[in-house]
Amino acid sequence: MDLNYAPEDLTFREATRKWFAANTPTHDLKTLDERKAWHRTLYEAGYVGMLWPKEYGGRGATPMQQAIVSDEMARVNAPPAINGLGIGFIGPTIIVHGTEQQKQRYLKKMLTAEEIWCQLYSEPNAGSDLAGLKTRAEDHGEHFVVNGQKIWTSSGPIADWGILLCRTDAKVPKHKGISCFLLNMRQPGVEVRPLKQITGSSLFSEVFMTNARAERSDLIGNLGQGWEIAQTTLGYERGGNSLGRVTRYASAFNQLVKATKELRRHGKPLIEDAAVRAKLGRIYADLEVQRYAALRVLSALQKGDAPGAGSSITKLSYTEFEKRYYELALEILGPEGQLLAPQHEFDEIDTSSGEPGTWAHAFLWSRAGTIYSGSSEIQKNVIGERVLGLPKEIRADRVKA
Amino acid sequence: MDFAFSSDQQLLKNSARAFLDEHCKPAVVRSMWEDPRGESEGLWKEMAQLGWLGLSLPEAHGGSGLGMVETAILLEELGRAAYPGPYLPTMLAASAIDEAGTDAQKKRWLPAVATGDARATIAFLDKDLDWGPDAVGTRAERTPQGWTLTGEKRFVPWAHVANVLLVPAVGPEGLTVFLVEPSARGLGLSPVSGMDLATRWVHVSLDRVPVASDTVLGAAGGGAALLGWLLRRGAVGAAAEMLGAARRCLDMSVGYAKVREQFGQPIGSFQAIRHKCAEMLLEVENSHSATYYAAWALDAGAEDQELAASVAKAYVGDAARKVCGDSIQVHGGIGFTWEYDLHLYFKRAKALEPMYGDGDYHRELIVRKIAG
Repeated sequence: MDLNYAPEDLTFREATRKWFAANTPTHDLKTLDERKAWHRTLYEAGYVGMLWPKEYGGRGATPMQQAIVSDEMARVNAPPAINGLGIGFIGPTIIVHGTEQQKQRYLKKMLTAEEIWCQLYSEPNAGSDLAGLKTRAEDHGEHFVVNGQKIWTSSGPIADWGILLCRTDAKVPKHKGISCFLLNMRQPGVEVRPLKQITGSSLFSEVFMTNARAERSDLIGNLGQGWEIAQTTLGYERGGNSLGRVTRYASAFNQLVKATKELRRHGKPLIEDAAVRAKLGRIYADLEVQRYAALRVLSALQKGDAPGAGSSITKLSYTEFEKRYYELALEILGPEGQLLAPQHEFDEIDTSSGEPGTWAHAFLWSRAGTIYSGSSEIQKNVIGERVLGLPKEIRADRVKA
Repeated sequence: MDFAFSSDQQLLKNSARAFLDEHCKPAVVRSMWEDPRGESEGLWKEMAQLGWLGLSLPEAHGGSGLGMVETAILLEELGRAAYPGPYLPTMLAASAIDEAGTDAQKKRWLPAVATGDARATIAFLDKDLDWGPDAVGTRAERTPQGWTLTGEKRFVPWAHVANVLLVPAVGPEGLTVFLVEPSARGLGLSPVSGMDLATRWVHVSLDRVPVASDTVLGAAGGGAALLGWLLRRGAVGAAAEMLGAARRCLDMSVGYAKVREQFGQPIGSFQAIRHKCAEMLLEVENSHSATYYAAWALDAGAEDQELAASVAKAYVGDAARKVCGDSIQVHGGIGFTWEYDLHLYFKRAKALEPMYGDGDYHRELIVRKIAG
């Protein structure tokens, strides 16, 4: 056991820190064009798709280097790259399961954010029970005709392409009749309607597919292999930038400490109140444990250990922590914590996804983590079955299968 | 950066597990409940032979020169076995003698600890049960021969079997730590019984106890720093032991949930039970990260070592209480019986929770450090 950074990682961190000190935009990026331009700058500096193999435009970097970059970005509140879903897991899915032709066609433009990607998985009646999805694709030879509805689609309104799970065979057990396609979002049969969230913004959308066209050449893997492919995909999504996320929590915590020194209640600064101090201590201990756990995961990734079902523990841990964190923070801050527009410098904090906002935004956004990408309840099922080896529950759909 | 144990560390863990599974079965723990000493001399000597008692002591004094990570590995396994005996207090006291003692003090005590001939403990708490060095009420007065100590120490672990006690007292120079032998005139020992019958606490009364000049450990007046140093090691050591108890409770719960059937199915197939077990695993894994991060930070002299020790104690104390408690819930009625072994570990974790600073104390230390 040795938690010191290797000399080459320290050198890399120093170079990264310098680059972000010199290049991080000083103003909020408002338009999509501004964000694409920032993404392009990051890409050209080699900070996008770092884990991708060099032959597909990546850097072939180590997990440690990627973690250092996300950590350094968090330190200076640098805006994240866009196309996160594409680069984080749709691209890797194509790299693992795609044809050479698909790789040539899609990967480079994904990295440069020339084409933005979204994920078309969840449906109104297929959330946690994703395999119950009903969107269907009919085989018309050279292409498939897609009909159905998707929901909770991040980046839907700006997406050029989507990775789609749909049913191609209704006669086989539900997990076996699903296929995975790359779908052109810019076609008449695809309609995207923004969905306003409790934060007030519309990062999500609903996607309606009416006789939309998916090319046979855009099928990933074989027909009926979609569920299996989705499992690897979700695994990527859960690995993630844990160190950078913890650093964003930590910068927000520094703002919270500042707030407790400036805000007063009962004639004294909040920081002198024993109940407030107890809450601060609880958040800090919890936050540090998330950091230690992130280092532990990172050290395993660095050695080439696949996170597997263990990544469910990480996801469960930080998303549940995030709720506890912002609940306690808003208890400490009182009504100040509910402001939508900052009135003090300490009101300005990023959400864990890196979006600029206030305590209120971070608090509201914290409710998303334990639902997206497999809810806490689904993670606990995965942990129970695949890590602890507890018996599977008897389920109606498994009995039928 | 490597968070995993080295092969030597893994070997230590495996051999400790194997030894304790064989020699510290629940029946052995139970057999000590009625024992006046509460610990087994034979087991202690075997631990000495395995090199556990000198694990972190210097080679020059019969030890192996290993660090807090290795000590935590052993303590986790001891907690997992609900080992009854003075391992943690002896390890802490000996490490303080190694850290601050004179050559003569080291020669006197360290080889004896390493060979299993001496046990030691620390009288941290005074009358008002505060872990802060400012709260010590015991007085040290100078005499022509040395000092006399007067005061009352409470909840001193395993003082009744200790050959030497580290006693903090306030003298003219300030807080000072003394090495006191229990045979000293005026020293009284009154064992008290807590819930965990395999942990022994003793109230120690000091009525003008005479001690020689050469029993001062470190500088006279330098006690606060030494006690802070010890408290951090104690906090991490206790965290490791609580982690072991929690891991044992988790393992027993998962094992039980696989075989216990209700409504015609193993109860582990019900989400109500499975989710509880998943939450327990999360707490245990986070406790592992917290404990070993802190142990490494102490060994490495990391910048955040003080914070890390407090984080570990605060987090693991809460986590172990929850995990051990939930394990009783998973088991249902059988988990509440005296015959079933779950309460050995449940009570061990609870007994350590207030020791070396409870969660509230360490959270306050954290806030002082980061926010003033």
